[in-house]
Amino acid sequence: MSVAALASRPSRTIIAWRPILLVGVPAAFLLFCFVLPNAFLLTSSAFKSESQVLTNQLTTENYGFLLGRAVYRGAILRTFLIGALVGLLVVVLSYPLAFFLARTRSRWKGALIALSLSPLLASVVVRTYGWWVLLNREGAVNDLLRATGITSQSLPLLPSVGAIVIGLTHSLLPYGVLTILSSLNGVNPSFEKAAMSLGANRIRTFFEVTLPLSLPGIVGAFVIAFTLSISAYATPAILGGPSTATMATLIYDFMTSLADWALGSAMGALLIVSSMVLLVIGAVLGSKREAL
Amino acid sequence: MRRAVGLPWQMLRGAVALTYLFIFTPIVITALVSFNSINQSKFPPVGFSMRWWDDALSERWLQPLWFSVQLATLTAVIATLLGLPLAFGLTRYKFPGRNILVALSLGPLALPALVTGIGILQFFQTAGLAALFGFPALLIGHVVICLPFSVRTIAISLRAMPAKVEQAAANLGARPARVFLEITLPLIRSGLFAGAIFCFIQSFTDYSVSLFLSRAGMQPISIAILSYIDYGFTPTLAAVAVLTLVVPLVLIAAVQHFFGIGDFLYGARDSG
Repeated sequence: MSVAALASRPSRTIIAWRPILLVGVPAAFLLFCFVLPNAFLLTSSAFKSESQVLTNQLTTENYGFLLGRAVYRGAILRTFLIGALVGLLVVVLSYPLAFFLARTRSRWKGALIALSLSPLLASVVVRTYGWWVLLNREGAVNDLLRATGITSQSLPLLPSVGAIVIGLTHSLLPYGVLTILSSLNGVNPSFEKAAMSLGANRIRTFFEVTLPLSLPGIVGAFVIAFTLSISAYATPAILGGPSTATMATLIYDFMTSLADWALGSAMGALLIVSSMVLLVIGAVLGSKREAL
Repeated sequence: MRRAVGLPWQMLRGAVALTYLFIFTPIVITALVSFNSINQSKFPPVGFSMRWWDDALSERWLQPLWFSVQLATLTAVIATLLGLPLAFGLTRYKFPGRNILVALSLGPLALPALVTGIGILQFFQTAGLAALFGFPALLIGHVVICLPFSVRTIAISLRAMPAKVEQAAANLGARPARVFLEITLPLIRSGLFAGAIFCFIQSFTDYSVSLFLSRAGMQPISIAILSYIDYGFTPTLAAVAVLTLVVPLVLIAAVQHFFGIGDFLYGARDSG
């Protein structure tokens, strides 16, 4: 190539290089610290491991082990049951609140929105202990039940799946409010006006116009609550026990006390696949929004 | 729309009041049991005592609290430094592989943080980087899970600012670096701060990644609280829990006071 040809090109070359220079370092960081570790995890879930050391023997044993034993299969099913219940409860509890926040003309609107999201400032660990105080054997609920004579003995409210569901619903509620609120804010008010001017009352307008239009928000809230629930560790660890093991608590046990990384990785891979499936379902059912 | 009054609206207000009660009851109870005079988290509290607060304010708890503040601050700074060029590149340029990079930069949000944690744990251990466990590994893990928040918030600011301003400056002869420093950066300032605050809070309240990357003496406060679980929930822990709430509140108040992120958070777009 002649010198003249090279000389005519630099300006173009610089333009092509600029985005690479910009995103190069962050992309390399993500590649090394996010993609590689996850790829490593997926790989190690497919290898035989002997006391924390991975051998280079390919196997589906780890998955077979997890899906074959009743105790692990039960934990996986329990995790999904918890996720579905929490998703449902988060939608049911956050919809009225989000609807109120979207429609109120109170001058405290901004403060009320901030207040409903403020629990996000506290760690889930912190927020879950409040439920422990209420629900443990010597807790406030049992004290109340005994004092009023409804029961004579303490009820074993903990550990239980119900307590885990309540705790997770409580910690994930702000995400539901946020998702449904932004969806309701996107509903064009003139549709509601049109329905009412055609003679529909407010309740009919809500059920036939507003609710269907905010469906993407409902789906979004359900999916977020579901995916965050199935990978939550702290709440099942605090409000549950060995009898209510979930995928996340099992992963922790595999990685620490049991020191079986292959099984931990396999369970982690199952968690990744479940989250991905949920997110895809959510994307198909909900609206397609531009990611960035 | 007609003024929203009447029975349905009143019922809605009742439901909303109950929901707020549900949201704040456990938090208020946690705060109140820290004043128990006995070493049991009784509600309503038995007697009144401040001694658990003395415990909470001792070195044993202040050390992990301070550790968390340092970790969250550095996480916010690094995530912003990485997120800014990434968001700028993704919003202002078209290049091959752009879509993959968008998916990649939001990826840590889509995959469970817990799994990212064990991924990094195994990868570092196997790659002979076990010496990183503790602060360095925690920092890396936290930056990974915070980067999506940072990129997303900054990208929103970059899209919200009028693109013509950058063009005008370039047309007047400013070089790209100068356009960026003197035009773009000041205009997205509130987005930068908002993103950094999201990162700080995300890091400060995280336990999923920290669970696997900490080591003795290098524990964030959430893990210090969680590893106390076997001793039950003592009033001291309740006091520590309230302390951890104070940190983000003070931070938000301070940043709001000095830099003003309100216009970003409430979505008001001043295109001035």
